[in-house]
Amino acid sequence: MTVAEFFGCTFLAFGPPLAMFIFTIAHDPIRIIILIAAAFVWLLSLLISSTFWFAIVPLREYLSFGLVFSIFFQEAFRYVIYIVLRKTERGLQEVTQNSRVTENKHILAYVSGLGFGIISGAFALVNVLADSVGPATMGLLSGTNVFFITSAAQTLCTVLLHTFWSVIFFNALDTSRYSHVAYVVISHLFVSCLTLFNKQELYYATLIPSYLVTILTGILAFKVVGGSLVTVKRFVTCQ
Amino acid sequence: MSVLFGIIFMLLVQSSIAERTRDKMYQAITGASCFRRLNATHQTGCSSPFSGSVGVLHLISTAVDIDFLVNKPPAPPYAPVIPPHLFTRDNILRIKNDAAKYVSAIILINKIDKLIDFSHELKCPNPFSGLISEQTCDPSKQETTWNPYGTGLLHEDFPFPIYYVADNKEIQKIIDCFEKFNNFDVKNQKHRSLCSIQVNSFMSAAVNSEVCIRRTGVFNNLTPTKFCDPLQGRNIYTTLFPRPIVDPVNRVVDESEKIILVSARLDTTSFFDGIGLGAMDSLVSFATLISVAHLLATLIPDRNAGQKNVLFMLFNGESYDYIGSQRFVYDLQKKDFPTKSTSTNILTLENIEFMIDIGPLDDLNNLKIYYAKEFPYEKSFKSAIDEYNAKFTLGLNITEQQSLNLPPTSAQSFLRENISFPVVIVTSNSPKNKFYHSIYDDGTNIGFKYQNTSQDFTKLDTFGAESPFEANSTQIKIRNTATGLAFALYYLVTREVYQKDQIASSVLIDEFLYCFLESADCPLFKAASPPNSLPGLSGPPLRYISVAGGSQEAAGWTLRLLGYLVGSKVQNAVKKNCTEPPLHWIAGFNGTGECRLTKSNYSSAYSPAFSIEGYDWQSGKYSTWTESTWFPMSARIFLQPSKTHEASIRRVVWNLPFKFTHNNASSLLKLAKKTVTKKMKGRRFKIYQLKTNKSTTLIFFNTL
Repeated sequence: MTVAEFFGCTFLAFGPPLAMFIFTIAHDPIRIIILIAAAFVWLLSLLISSTFWFAIVPLREYLSFGLVFSIFFQEAFRYVIYIVLRKTERGLQEVTQNSRVTENKHILAYVSGLGFGIISGAFALVNVLADSVGPATMGLLSGTNVFFITSAAQTLCTVLLHTFWSVIFFNALDTSRYSHVAYVVISHLFVSCLTLFNKQELYYATLIPSYLVTILTGILAFKVVGGSLVTVKRFVTCQ
Repeated sequence: MSVLFGIIFMLLVQSSIAERTRDKMYQAITGASCFRRLNATHQTGCSSPFSGSVGVLHLISTAVDIDFLVNKPPAPPYAPVIPPHLFTRDNILRIKNDAAKYVSAIILINKIDKLIDFSHELKCPNPFSGLISEQTCDPSKQETTWNPYGTGLLHEDFPFPIYYVADNKEIQKIIDCFEKFNNFDVKNQKHRSLCSIQVNSFMSAAVNSEVCIRRTGVFNNLTPTKFCDPLQGRNIYTTLFPRPIVDPVNRVVDESEKIILVSARLDTTSFFDGIGLGAMDSLVSFATLISVAHLLATLIPDRNAGQKNVLFMLFNGESYDYIGSQRFVYDLQKKDFPTKSTSTNILTLENIEFMIDIGPLDDLNNLKIYYAKEFPYEKSFKSAIDEYNAKFTLGLNITEQQSLNLPPTSAQSFLRENISFPVVIVTSNSPKNKFYHSIYDDGTNIGFKYQNTSQDFTKLDTFGAESPFEANSTQIKIRNTATGLAFALYYLVTREVYQKDQIASSVLIDEFLYCFLESADCPLFKAASPPNSLPGLSGPPLRYISVAGGSQEAAGWTLRLLGYLVGSKVQNAVKKNCTEPPLHWIAGFNGTGECRLTKSNYSSAYSPAFSIEGYDWQSGKYSTWTESTWFPMSARIFLQPSKTHEASIRRVVWNLPFKFTHNNASSLLKLAKKTVTKKMKGRRFKIYQLKTNKSTTLIFFNTL
């Protein structure tokens, strides 16, 4: 039955984030709290953008209007969580037993980014997943039966991107590299607007560029946190 | 950058409607479902599983196509789409018995071009009630049966739902979807997505009425669950003359009161919920009774001394082991008829001097009068009809027959109590209805064409006058039969021969048939209702007996009709003086309002089996039919993913996240306390058990 498809899509979208959560976050209560706080802040951004969507009449008709607005709100709230985390740093230092969280600023960025990603991924995919349980697949009136799997892949892409974006964004604000902030906002806009192609079922046009951007952003985030070819080599050879 | 904004701008202008994915995946199919009824020993009808039945659509165009279903089809389960001419006992039982593994639902579509007969009632209806031992109706001997075209499928139990789709647009949706996705390269169907249907018609009741009633009575939690309801409704009756009003506490049986009972059947039934007009199987005799009652009431407005009263009665639930008439006889025996609130004397079986039961009138020209035992009234009744037949050239050809193999009508409930009960059954010479108790027993089956004459339907026809109807139209045929019966009754009541030239109203019959076959929003029902009351629904009233809390619309309309057509008009009455029953203020033909002294009322049509404490269910004495409760029934078509597609998704995607975690966590897994290799369903799994410091155990599976 389509139950297999449901589980397949769920794990495709949320398997990697789940693994990241288990191996990098679950062991530290402070990180869990920050993850959830970040998810909450993303929800606030959703609330505000949906209020706008509902209140401003032209937004309701055109998906792309709402989409662009929503991205600006998300980025604004990414800034909000940045401010909040920096303001509460000292407090965190007091409560945490593990001083790495506050010493390595990238950890906080990574955790809040993952929080953003997981919750936005959940909101993007939950309705689709609920419909995928069956007994039907797409394709009766419109759409193709790869719809579910492409949606799941797109969601995974969004989750990873949010993580990378937060890392880049936080570092950019710390070091005043505003070109990086601009990169985050523009690549966010770019990837989100690409999804508008899904309506025409141009999934290749959406997924391939999205994943290219994800890889690029990943590399940039890796560099931002101090990674280089040397560190990759060391990791691979287990030195 | 400019490209990006270009794209945004391009998409800005394109409108998009927010809708759920689901709306693109499913298309609802409106139709009617077969449902489950139970009696003392069996369950009949059909049910889907709780979550609905899903089947791949497969159009059956010839009987040969059924072979495909029987011989291991490639992508079971299937939902065969069957036109009515292939919905035969042989075909359906073949699917039920030989292809049950591969079939999950049957879809019946309304394509009647090749249809000849379609009746799913038994060949001998109601075989377990009435005169059981005396009956010689034998399904294997065609000439003895009352419904020779019957398949008996109505009394079979199906493990899958049967769904009827009547609307042509809905049928087209199904056929288009089948042609587009299913009807090519059939052998390799399992390798692609297939158009399928899901039918939800889960029935709560099971086994039989006894079990189901017992389960309903068990209070095992705070919210009692109902599994089935007894079939019940109302019998509608009226007397020709008002009966004397007595003090409700001092009601007695007046042995000197002699009445003539004239009865017909109010209800009909069919295989599917909410469809089935029963035009020929019962509505024609119903119309005849109404017509007789109206003619007599108009000709004999006042009772002279010594005249007998006539009780016109429409029995409900007769399709299900004579529920209405059984209850009526039971009430007469228990001295419960009529109810106390009518303030009239009690009637018993002895008060009925003569009973005329109008059975199915498939052929209105050739009538037969059946009786079980000879009695004096029977002869005078026949000779009276013959006389008026000749006088008004009614064109009736009447024969009589003494027999114990009697048509399945209400008379059986009386004869069962007393084989010498003075009853005659007026029915057609031989059963000719090819659509008895079916969805196709409609206006076309009796050749009914509404003339919409706009003439006053309370005015009687004049013999020999010009008529808006053709001589062989249904309206005229019913009028002639009704006239013959009515004047025979006229003679029995008045002991006089009718001298004038007024006969039954054909316009009334036209309007009556229109109300019950086409729309309840009709002039006759409007005239019989209070002025400015809500109009009837645009469809015909449902005549299936249904259960308590059912609409009972047919019974309700009949009560008003009898009040209007048999009730006597109170001259010069005003509205404010016409509020106390039996006085009723009704619209009348021109809608201005008039006061009628009504003599109509209703009695219960509820099988005594359910009201007798400790009733022996196996005794077969009374009707035990119940109807299962159900959730809203629905059907929808959609694309079912191919079996291969699903299997591949399962293989690829299911393992992916675990591989991912495995690679990242290989070092962690080395710390695993225990690794076990297990074989499940032919594949080997390695199970890692991890103990973390919070003493939670994480288990990982990895396929090998």
